[in-house]
Amino acid sequence: MKRVLETGNAAITEGAIAAGCRVFAGYPITPATEIAENMSRRLPQVGGYYLQAEDELAAMHIAVGSSLGGLKAMTATSGPGFILYADPYGWALGSEIPVVVVNAQRVGPVSGITGAPGQGEFYFSRYPTQGGNFETIVLAPASVQEALNLTVEAFYLAERFRMPVTLLADQLVTDGWESLSVPETPDDVAAMGLRVLPRRIHSGPEFYPASDEIDVPPVVLGHNTGAACSDWTPTEQGYDTEEVEAQHKHAYRLIYKVRNHRDLLRRYEAYYLDDNPEVVLVSYGSPARVAKSAVKRARERGLKVGGIRLIGLWPFPEELFTLPAKYLSVELNNDGQLVREVQRAVPKGSAVHFFGKCGELPTVAELQRMIDALLSGEPLPANRWEWEAW
Amino acid sequence: MEKRTEILVSGFGGQGVVRVGQILSTAAVSSGLHTTMLVSHGTETRGGYVRSQVVISDEEIDSPVVENPDFLCALSKAAYNRFKHLVSKGTIIYDPAFIEPDETLDVRQVPFPARDIAVEKLGREIFANVIVVGYLAGLLSGTLTKEAVAAAVRERIPKFQSENAAAFAVGYSLAETLGGAPTVATR
Repeated sequence: MKRVLETGNAAITEGAIAAGCRVFAGYPITPATEIAENMSRRLPQVGGYYLQAEDELAAMHIAVGSSLGGLKAMTATSGPGFILYADPYGWALGSEIPVVVVNAQRVGPVSGITGAPGQGEFYFSRYPTQGGNFETIVLAPASVQEALNLTVEAFYLAERFRMPVTLLADQLVTDGWESLSVPETPDDVAAMGLRVLPRRIHSGPEFYPASDEIDVPPVVLGHNTGAACSDWTPTEQGYDTEEVEAQHKHAYRLIYKVRNHRDLLRRYEAYYLDDNPEVVLVSYGSPARVAKSAVKRARERGLKVGGIRLIGLWPFPEELFTLPAKYLSVELNNDGQLVREVQRAVPKGSAVHFFGKCGELPTVAELQRMIDALLSGEPLPANRWEWEAW
Repeated sequence: MEKRTEILVSGFGGQGVVRVGQILSTAAVSSGLHTTMLVSHGTETRGGYVRSQVVISDEEIDSPVVENPDFLCALSKAAYNRFKHLVSKGTIIYDPAFIEPDETLDVRQVPFPARDIAVEKLGREIFANVIVVGYLAGLLSGTLTKEAVAAAVRERIPKFQSENAAAFAVGYSLAETLGGAPTVATR
């Protein structure tokens, strides 16, 4: 194991290599370009394949197709590319093809600002394609080390659940530099508590079990099954169909293989919640680190404040919100996205508020002012325009 | 109690601002400390405004934001004007080749003519950033050793090793003479 100063982009690359990723297809975009660059250097060293596609639509199709050919695959982009993944993302969901998708969020909408962080794809990562009838798995790192660890975990979950897993990072995580432990051997990987599941091949002959079962090996085309793995609704045998009954079975599987295994997907960090704090900060990704500093600072002042950092975003861990409190959602967007889900999850007697910033992190001082206002019941400090109390 | 040091380095694109932060953070990693460095930049690499925010701590770092820098190192007028108000307890180090100091500020400000020193002693402006690294290494001697920072310079800039070693030494020696003074008046 080596300890280095590296970026989140380098961490994601090394996590993918450690997880057994052997195909990367992408199209360069700030702040995720270095993942492609690093992969183009690293993959040939381990017998893998790097392809630069003509655009993001092609990039993710190549990644998904490679997985269907039997190799673990990844693609990486930012918001403007993530929207172009919509078509192949749906194909991978419907045909149960494992693939890891990285989105380094920047300021939007559209091209927005390249080198500045945003969190505008909280809901987009829940609905990355059209049509409904599916759940998604989304993980959000808050540090360079966690970017590596969660990349490995994303591959692990993709194999177990036979589906795409999105790593929803932000520009500060991918472009930021931080101390990083990099595993160099399988023993290192195990010592770091990271889980790697080698690619297995479905024994067939059916395409999928009509159940919520997980740990069903993925289909590799040409092996043991005649499944077409097209983007049409499949029968259990894997043939295209227009039958509504077949669609029901397929939809049940895509939804409930995730919903019925939520316990395997719940990842979070909760702190200072034991003494029923009056105020609870909720956040994910890099702003969650500022929120934690603000909570610690408040505790030093004797204030009853706690925090929840979400690591698994989807399926949304609503069961965490059992404590009636004043919740403050801290996000890198100005419209408020996570706050809506928190509002839906909190118990009776709670209030939910929002603090948003985009393009740069909030400061501890700003969050301190919000905490003080929430504790004293004063109106929340206005910031550039009248913030709505959610 | 956490010992946290915050350093903000900002200037034009092309001045080597990111490299300064990388070197300090690299030295922190090799010293077994925790570190974060955030880089803000636009689409242009050169000519635009660049900032690196470095935090070094003996404990795990939560917020990576430099809100109250121990050292603000301003290498352009825009950088100085944008970040000078963040400093309350720390020191502003500015290059007088680009910056007229704001004398209304009630903080310690040190003029450090890195560009001119680079041209004078090493013949090229390009070495100014490593002179700054040497100077900061001197000021940070309670946190990072001289050897750790010098090694980080070699690791992060494999080319021009002898010139950069000389630039580092020049900066470091100036910290020994200037940096220890309790106050340096603004000019």
